[in-house]
Amino acid sequence: MPKQILLNFFLALLWMFLTVNYSLTALIIGYLLGLGLLFMMRRFFKERFYLERVWAVIVLFFIFQRELLLSNIQVLMLVLRPRLTIKPAIFALETDLKEDWEITLLSSLITLTPGTLVIDVSHDQKTLYIHALDVSDIDEAIHSIKTTFEKAIIEVSRP
Amino acid sequence: MKTNDVILKTGTKVVSFMIFLFSIHIFFAGHYTPGGGFVGGLLASSAIVLLLLAFDIKTVKKILPVNYITITAAGIIISILTASAAVFFNKSFFTHFFDYFHLPLLGKTSLHTATLFDLGVYLVVVGVTMTIIQTIGEDE
Repeated sequence: MPKQILLNFFLALLWMFLTVNYSLTALIIGYLLGLGLLFMMRRFFKERFYLERVWAVIVLFFIFQRELLLSNIQVLMLVLRPRLTIKPAIFALETDLKEDWEITLLSSLITLTPGTLVIDVSHDQKTLYIHALDVSDIDEAIHSIKTTFEKAIIEVSRP
Repeated sequence: MKTNDVILKTGTKVVSFMIFLFSIHIFFAGHYTPGGGFVGGLLASSAIVLLLLAFDIKTVKKILPVNYITITAAGIIISILTASAAVFFNKSFFTHFFDYFHLPLLGKTSLHTATLFDLGVYLVVVGVTMTIIQTIGEDE
């Protein structure tokens, strides 16, 4: 992905020098033309075409927004309820993510959604320990995290 | 039993760059808007302190192999030379000069000798703050 972006930027600069027009418009036109060329030659690279990964980042952002809204409403319901009938729990989540930044991103997303909070990462970085505000079914909570956030992050980091 | 602080370290790798950049912006913004050498220096040293919190002293010494006492001395020398440069032009001590220059890429730019004085202040603040924190931190 970085190689493709660098090549695209280089093609944009080359377009600027070819047209002898050193302005921002020429750079943008060259960038878009280079994008088209890269799309044409996308099977030449080992990795995916990089716009797919940019799209995956946008999808992850909107998934996070949706989860944030839904879990905020859930916590609001818990707060406004006259009787506090919550079941707090700490559970372990086995994660398939490897890189440091992936673990950090997943932990940040889990922590930013109300109701769940990452309290520790194991030393081999395969397990996250999560505190949940209201868990009636732990397997269901693990499943929901795995199918939303982790799937989206894997989609971003897949080469 | 040491905890695994992968989240803090990864966050530091990103955030420290942002703090350094903001410190440079504050340093150059000091002439017309709030900011200047003192605040910029404190911000730069706060970025180094964040590195010290996330990693340990040995690693930070490997990352930034500088002697902070030397930096303090360099800052004071720059400030004194800038202040005393006016004496050689038959002006009083601490008189600043400025002029407009046409630089490549930047166009018409106003260059002021007060920036050099501020650079000295910046270096002194970074040097003194880091010297204090490192000497406290190294005591076993």
